[in-house]
Amino acid sequence: MSLKRYNKMAYDDLEDMVFGHSIYPVKTGFDLEIGAGYTSAEVNYAPRPAAGESKEKLIAEYQKITTDVLQRMVQVGFPSVVLETEHVQQMTVNPSWGAEIAHEQKTIMEEFYDEYGIKCALRHTPADIRGGKESLDLRGDSYGMLLESFEEVASNGADMLSIESLGGKSVFDSSILRNDISGVLFSIGILGTLDVEFIWEDISKIAKKHDVVAAGDTDCSQANTAMFIAGGLLDRKLAHTLAVVTRAVSAPRSLAAYEAGAVGPGKDCGYENTIIKAIAGVPISQEGKGSTCAHSDLMGNLAMQCCDLWSNESVEYRGEFGGTSVQCWGETLSYDCSMMNTAIEAGYAKVFRDVFMVSDRYRDSQAFILAFDNAYRIGESIVKDGNDIYLRAKNAAIEACNIVDEGSRGQLELSRFEKASLAKAIKSLHSLTDEKDVFIEENMDKFSTMENFIPKNYGY
Amino acid sequence: MIDINPQRILVRYNVKVEKEMTPEEVAEKLFPVEENIREVAKAIFEGDEDEVVESIQNAINNGLDPLNLINNALMVGMEIVSTLYDDGVLYLPDVIISAQAMMEGIEYCKEHFGQDHEYKGKIVSYVVEGDIHDIGKKIVTVLLRAKGYEVVDLGKDVCVEEVIAAVKKEKPIMLTGTSLMTTTMIGFKDVNSRLLESDINVPVVCGGGAVTQDFVSQYELGLYCEEAADVPKIADAIINGLNISQLRKEFHKH
Ligand code: B12
Repeated sequence: MSLKRYNKMAYDDLEDMVFGHSIYPVKTGFDLEIGAGYTSAEVNYAPRPAAGESKEKLIAEYQKITTDVLQRMVQVGFPSVVLETEHVQQMTVNPSWGAEIAHEQKTIMEEFYDEYGIKCALRHTPADIRGGKESLDLRGDSYGMLLESFEEVASNGADMLSIESLGGKSVFDSSILRNDISGVLFSIGILGTLDVEFIWEDISKIAKKHDVVAAGDTDCSQANTAMFIAGGLLDRKLAHTLAVVTRAVSAPRSLAAYEAGAVGPGKDCGYENTIIKAIAGVPISQEGKGSTCAHSDLMGNLAMQCCDLWSNESVEYRGEFGGTSVQCWGETLSYDCSMMNTAIEAGYAKVFRDVFMVSDRYRDSQAFILAFDNAYRIGESIVKDGNDIYLRAKNAAIEACNIVDEGSRGQLELSRFEKASLAKAIKSLHSLTDEKDVFIEENMDKFSTMENFIPKNYGY
Repeated sequence: MIDINPQRILVRYNVKVEKEMTPEEVAEKLFPVEENIREVAKAIFEGDEDEVVESIQNAINNGLDPLNLINNALMVGMEIVSTLYDDGVLYLPDVIISAQAMMEGIEYCKEHFGQDHEYKGKIVSYVVEGDIHDIGKKIVTVLLRAKGYEVVDLGKDVCVEEVIAAVKKEKPIMLTGTSLMTTTMIGFKDVNSRLLESDINVPVVCGGGAVTQDFVSQYELGLYCEEAADVPKIADAIINGLNISQLRKEFHKH
């Protein structure tokens, strides 16, 4: 295994982190550069349910989606756009379907590029089909099929490859509903990281072989699950402070994709991406106020602070009064990008970044830790022990708690409940061992009785 | 980097409306008075499995009947936890941890004293075929168990055949189905028609992100509900004899 661990920050000065710029921009698709001085919209969509009935219907649906988006971009005068196709199950389990769809989409994009010169690129995100009915089977037959799907889309038109991988999910699901911090750390920091490393070595090879971009992963299945269970300010399903810990731990986990060869842009729903950008200097996609069609979050503006692509997460293809849904959302995102790009041209990028960030900084502790200055601090705690996947995850969790604790003595208002649950989290984090092997052994033991936990999935 | 005072930009409503009393203080007033029973109920509230077993053993040593303990200590402790969750004093993990402790307690009574108790009713839960989003279903299942129902959990990505077979075998008072994707929720339709074909009129309560009241209302047996916390209330209503149209009147909010 040749993993390139991060032991120092890509950015020496956190003030240099800003939207539209990354240290290592990525060239891809038709003339597109990501993180090279401008932002672009990344439009993400889902087919209507009835379109999934046959391959022909599905292909036709994606042709319409692709044409609609590009047409609108040209009609309103936007210079660039990225399309992301998140596979529905059928497209991944039948790798040739994904291939044909990628091909059809790319053909349409090429026509638009040839005619108008619009810069564009296509991301494909195969579904992580390794989540079996009873338990995860991360390295078995379905893994072979998943890789075949990557091969097929990469050789048929996809410019960027991504996935929302599932490693650690079964342990996480049971831990998060029981306030089990050590279980959360184990499922994401250890199991998640091991799986991300494992699959991204393979995905990076496939990308290299077909000269496309190994873009990156997201901890959607765990950190976003926690964020959604935590919900809004008045929901009482999960302490937001626990969602904070979960998010912090997700950063070293998703970082592992870059350690195994990915180069960005990180995937939109990885809210941990600002931390990763600080460490690795890769461009990132983000979503926030433009993804209210998919879910609500507590950092709609803040998420723009350092984005290179600006996404809507996913919208079902259908008609709206203003056109089809992909046109409406693509236009909204692109106007946001236009504003950011104007700020860059005019030399106000940092002012805009700060306004985006500060407008949500104190909305919730989850937003607070992701404000770029705090995200940077979490990044530093990760690279401090960059070679030890356990310590760096634990560091990130502790640092995030410290940030919230310090913040609560300033402008970040916490309820008494949040303060109490933060104190509990800090206490349990400090009670943990410093030894990776001891921690892993303890947890392997603890979860060995859980029926759907299979150590073999992680090479044990 | 600029910074501001956020007071005129956002309102932390959770801080604003937080109740004065802590959950512990509220619970203290609700625990049963009899010393032995109180200890068991308290252990349930705290979600401490070892405490639960210990306090049950103590109570038995002091002459209390295990069945009495299940119904008047374990269940009562759990009722307090559920009530505080419904009232917005506790959080969901508190309920889950306590429910786990309660089930442990019931198990202990069963194993050691051969005593079982009667559940309020049996319910089958599942996630529709093609869908693996199952945390919501897990939550629904725990909340039902916490309220004294026996739940047969079929898991995720469950095919129609399996659902129908389970209903025939278990004869539940209701079925709960979860679907988070618009692409999979059509699975409720098949369950509905297959049940009707077999003359089974069990309510199918449907929830999860993708599902809407309009969609569920199309099916004769369908009942829509948004909040997991309402599912035990529906079960109670079924036990109290409400039929599907009465249930819709009561629980359809849109
Ligand atoms: C976490 C998540 C995942 C995790 C799931 C982990 C798990 N164990 O469940 C993972 C990563 C595995 C995942 C995978 C996929 N996902 Co997903 N996922 C989500 C996400 C972000 C949050 C869901 C969640 O956990 N919410 C928190 C729980 C607590 O809420 P809940 O389940 O809704 O349950 C609550 C209520 O609904 C209710 N409830 C639940 N069940 C019941 C039942 C009854 C009877 C009642 C009354 C109430 C009730 O009570 C619960 C508590 O309040 C949603 C986003 C969203 N907006 O929902 C997308 C989302 C559901 N996923 C989506 C998609 C597309 C996928 C994938 C296909 C992506 C891919 N390309 O791989 C795969 C699907 C694989 C499959 N075959 O199922 C789409 C679905 C779009 C659509 N077509 O409808 C969504 C909406 C995201 C989006 N906007 O695009 N996902």
